Amino acid sequence: MLADKYYQFKKSLDEQGVMFTYSGVVSETILFGLGDTVKQKMHVDEADSTTIKRVFSVFVEQVQNIIRYSAEKASGERKDGREMCSGVISVGRNQGQFFVVGGNLVHNRDLPRLRNRLEHLRSLDKDELKAYYKQKLREDSEETSKGASIGLIEIARRAAGPIMFDFKVVNDNYTFFCLKAFV
Amino acid sequence: MDCFTRHGTERTPEIVFDFGRGIFSIRGESYPEDVATFYGPVMSSLKEFLSGNRTRSLTLEIELIYFNSSSAKVLMNLFLLLENAAGAENQITVNWYYQGDDETMREFGEEFSEDVRHINFHVLERNGAPPPQ
Repeated sequence: MLADKYYQFKKSLDEQGVMFTYSGVVSETILFGLGDTVKQKMHVDEADSTTIKRVFSVFVEQVQNIIRYSAEKASGERKDGREMCSGVISVGRNQGQFFVVGGNLVHNRDLPRLRNRLEHLRSLDKDELKAYYKQKLREDSEETSKGASIGLIEIARRAAGPIMFDFKVVNDNYTFFCLKAFV
Repeated sequence: MDCFTRHGTERTPEIVFDFGRGIFSIRGESYPEDVATFYGPVMSSLKEFLSGNRTRSLTLEIELIYFNSSSAKVLMNLFLLLENAAGAENQITVNWYYQGDDETMREFGEEFSEDVRHINFHVLERNGAPPPQ
């Protein structure tokens, strides 16, 4: 049973072209280790250096967004006082295109703003994304966002097509938010 | 303080600020755990240098392999700080290096250069490692 269960789980991921999926508590150490693995694996697969950098960049922004904004936090605090956040991150390749998927819980009250922001990004073409990125870089960070808007624009800029996102309401307080970018 | 130095790590750049020669360099990777903690002292020492009351010139050498969006924000603040200080009395030059095959870093350099007027901002191709200082 044990082997069968995990074999099916792994097989399902393999069939989707997943290089790896990480689910659970995310830390900066995890970000560094997985990021390094992404670069090494893509190098072995003979991906060109520009694509490796783009995938790496989308990966870093996705994971740092989970670390900073996931509403799912481990109880208690680390020694340095920071909270530990949870989420899921997946990197893979489908029909020759690399993809990065990130998922985490968000508070329902933050949903309208996040959705507006993502829909706006989806509506912009490459030049408009560049102009928007430059505008946001010059602005002071929005008080509650810790710079997330720039991270999302960076993801949209490195993506090969429009970013994909989806929401699933979990309960009265939380929604699961998912963001996917092909590179 | 004659020199401000931070050794590079796998995710933070090497920083050398030579006050005497007016040469400031940032080289390597930049996606620190906490940009404010990492770049706070760098920005402070630069502000201190610029607030000195003698005529001076400053050259900023930037050669980054990768930087995340939080670091991009810091770089923009850095350029705006230099832009405000540049003028008749202060000659400020930025040399932004990118590896020949790295179009992302070339584009970033070009984009930053579009946003400044008073800084002499050069986007330069480099092949291989920088020459020893």
